[in-house]
Amino acid sequence: MATKKNFLVTPGEPVGVIAAQSIGEPGTQMVLRSFHYAGVASSIATSGLPRLVEIVDTRKKPATPFSYVYLKGKAAKDFDAAEQIVKKISEVRVNDVIKRILENFSKGTIMIRLDEQKLEANELTAKGIASKIEKLIKAECTAQGNSLLIKTHTKAAKQTRAMAVQIGKLTVNGIENAGRAVIKQDKKTEEFYLVTNNSNIAAIMQVEGVDTSRIYTNDIFEMYRIFGIEAARNTIAKELDIVLREQGINVDERHLYILADAMSASGSIKNVGRRGLSGEKESIFARAAYEETIKHLINAAAFGERDDMKGVTENVLVGKQIGLGTGTVTLAIKKEDISKISEKKGKK
Amino acid sequence: MAKRSINEKCYVYINGKILGYVKDGKTYTNEIRTARRTGVLSGEINVAFVPKLNAVHINTDNGRIRKPYIIVEGGKSKLTPDLMDKLRKKEIDFNYLLRHGIVEFLDAEEEENTLVVFKEKDITAETTHLEVDTTSIFGFTLNMSPFPEHNNAARHAMLSNFIKQSQGLYATNFNLRFDSRSYLLFYPQAPIVSTSVFKSAHMEKHPSGQNFIVALSTYYGYNMADAIVLNKAAVDRGLGRSMFYKTYSDEERRYPGGQKDVFKVPPATAEGYLGEHAYSKLSEDGIIEPETIVDEGDVLIGKVAPPRFLEESISASGLEEKIRDDSTTLKAGEKGVIDSVVFTESTGATKVVKVRIKSLRVPEKGDKFASRQGQKGVAAYIVPQEDMPFNEQGIVPDLLLNPHSVPNRLTFGHLLEELAGKAGALSGKMVDGTAFAEKGSQRIEEYGKTLEEHGFDKFGDETLYDGITGKRFQAKIFNGVVYYNRLYHMVSNKLQVRSRGPVQILTHQPTEGKARQGGLRFGEMERDVLVGYGASLLLKERLLDQSDKAAVLICKDCGNIGYYDYIKRTVVCPICGGTAMSEVEISYAFKLLLDEIKSMHIFPAMKLKE
Repeated sequence: MATKKNFLVTPGEPVGVIAAQSIGEPGTQMVLRSFHYAGVASSIATSGLPRLVEIVDTRKKPATPFSYVYLKGKAAKDFDAAEQIVKKISEVRVNDVIKRILENFSKGTIMIRLDEQKLEANELTAKGIASKIEKLIKAECTAQGNSLLIKTHTKAAKQTRAMAVQIGKLTVNGIENAGRAVIKQDKKTEEFYLVTNNSNIAAIMQVEGVDTSRIYTNDIFEMYRIFGIEAARNTIAKELDIVLREQGINVDERHLYILADAMSASGSIKNVGRRGLSGEKESIFARAAYEETIKHLINAAAFGERDDMKGVTENVLVGKQIGLGTGTVTLAIKKEDISKISEKKGKK
Repeated sequence: MAKRSINEKCYVYINGKILGYVKDGKTYTNEIRTARRTGVLSGEINVAFVPKLNAVHINTDNGRIRKPYIIVEGGKSKLTPDLMDKLRKKEIDFNYLLRHGIVEFLDAEEEENTLVVFKEKDITAETTHLEVDTTSIFGFTLNMSPFPEHNNAARHAMLSNFIKQSQGLYATNFNLRFDSRSYLLFYPQAPIVSTSVFKSAHMEKHPSGQNFIVALSTYYGYNMADAIVLNKAAVDRGLGRSMFYKTYSDEERRYPGGQKDVFKVPPATAEGYLGEHAYSKLSEDGIIEPETIVDEGDVLIGKVAPPRFLEESISASGLEEKIRDDSTTLKAGEKGVIDSVVFTESTGATKVVKVRIKSLRVPEKGDKFASRQGQKGVAAYIVPQEDMPFNEQGIVPDLLLNPHSVPNRLTFGHLLEELAGKAGALSGKMVDGTAFAEKGSQRIEEYGKTLEEHGFDKFGDETLYDGITGKRFQAKIFNGVVYYNRLYHMVSNKLQVRSRGPVQILTHQPTEGKARQGGLRFGEMERDVLVGYGASLLLKERLLDQSDKAAVLICKDCGNIGYYDYIKRTVVCPICGGTAMSEVEISYAFKLLLDEIKSMHIFPAMKLKE
């Protein structure tokens, strides 16, 4: 009979090693295949080995962040309502509505010609943009028809150029760093949801009509900041699963959860490497065997550290039986001691 | 491409360096070409117009790979029948054609400007060049193979390598040569299916293979995954049989200080004396005689040398001169017969001895064979002839190739060669398998016709009978004649075993490599596998007991490594002087690590649990 007991891992089973092998072995095939998908325009998100490296190295910001924004109530079923939310979220920068930008270095002015069609599409006006720019940076900005004139109050060409670049990046509509939002429809439930090509879920959650319980981003650190370590752990496992699945590699999710658990067990996210999991091992020998051997040995000597010889690496190094698998079991009482105990009992 | 104005500059580069510019690169290029063909410019110059860059690249540097082409002008080959006639009569030669602008060499860049045709009949108005020969698009080695145009390109790289590795009649003066290693096939045959290049390279006079009768059939699973099955009777008759020659040589070196080596049977007093038995096969002069049967460890050349360090010879009380044994012995795992001994002098006027040893290599399980189609295989079973399949005429194949070797690899040339070989063998005529000489469909028809004439199936299929049960096989089996090469990778030269053996001095771990009787490395990933299985005692056995186990005394007080003092008959800790020690088994590598840590002025103390 299949009971829960049958599925439990045997005590002493080296689950970490098995997880590492189960992820690592198909990973070697991924290196060879990574170029196959180059040039496919549909998915611009980093995938394959670069993304895998990104996750285990815990980069502060993924190379291609994105978020899924699910909607509540009417907007989930109504395209027009969803579009209204898109307008609140989708980030529009000055650069997105520009036709041409002209700098006059001798006068210290910047002239921006706006694209009428683009303005209309984003429901923006030149005046509205001008007031936004004035609010965000210290410069006079006046709207003349479809053009903006900005006085920089400086005649240094360098500063004028810097300001022109800065203005181009200003967010004039939507949420800053939220990226462009696109409406998608779930094939099964037919509900509408948004996909953004950047991620700022903290701000998106403030928007009315957004289902805050289902919002998702592939930025592990953002998940950690907003929802805490448990969410970050689940995100790590989920992102690993996505990467491997895309490559046609099927790794049991429990292996991925072992890795995610190891990375998040301390309450903060640790990477896999000398500044994370491997570098913070308890054993001196295990750390020295990995990287920066001399550093670890000298520090251990300077602080009089002690190695309890409990791990695998250090016991293999010394030549002792490892404390895993068949080595889990040790003798609790010697045969001679049993007779001693029974003697004592007899006396009492 | 953006439109360019007529006035735009077309830059001219010589060997990658900019020289200047011209108005019209195309005409300029043609002018240079005409000058080269008429002999005004050197024939070693190549020029190419690159339309993409609107530039002219002229190359005159060394290292370019160039290939000859026949020039075609106005839709006509410049190599006229008249000239061909003169060539045949040897009135003119290739250099004449070069000088007169009939043939020219092109490099990779200039080839981009050409339109080359394969055969003269295909010439059109646009054609600029004609291939010298159909085979010239392949290299020398590939042209040794018949029907390369029917094979997958990936196989070409393989077959070129296999042909180079084959044993054969590599030189006719092999008996006088002292190659450090050489292989000689006993009965080399000219292939039934040959090529034009094979013939013009005189390969038929010193061939490197034999015509095997090959059936495309399985044999009880013995030829799975690139294994091959050989006929024992065929092997006994000399199929693939060869001789392996190896030369050992030594020299009587002179040393500064007037000392020198001497060839002689070393006296028992010499340092490093190997024991009387090892020298028993040497003659009086210390060198082995021809026709002696030798085994591993036997000394071939007896030699004594002065000690390595000067002090040793002086310190030896001055009475007797100390000498060192520096004999050459037969390496482990080798045996054979002394073939030839040569006694000569080196350029430095020192005596040199060369001993050539031969050993017979009858094909055995583990030897490598390959056809000229990139189909390699390792002999896995040598079957007694009575157990081999046979046809109604009693013909028994020499080799059974698994039919699964063909479909994935797309080596149709192998099948075609088999068919051609069969047709050639039956008609008694050599078959030409030169690349592109004929269409494949024509060839199949032609060979099929020959086969039918001799009473065989036109596709080469035959009814075969199982040698073990005598029953007829349900399927008809394709068989024919294929030229197989025996490659020089033979098990007897590679086989190696070790249970115990030499260890490295530094780490006390087993040595690596065949020459040092080494073990096979149980590496990091293999270690992880055992950890993953939780096989802790097996892991310990591999990494400690079978490797660098060392019993070490550890001081119970200070945790330092101590030693046993044989004079005082006690154990001693060199640091605290304590005598309470316990013996612990650790890996020598760990002891070495502790020593190195100590050398960094760090004291690693070991606290032991009872």
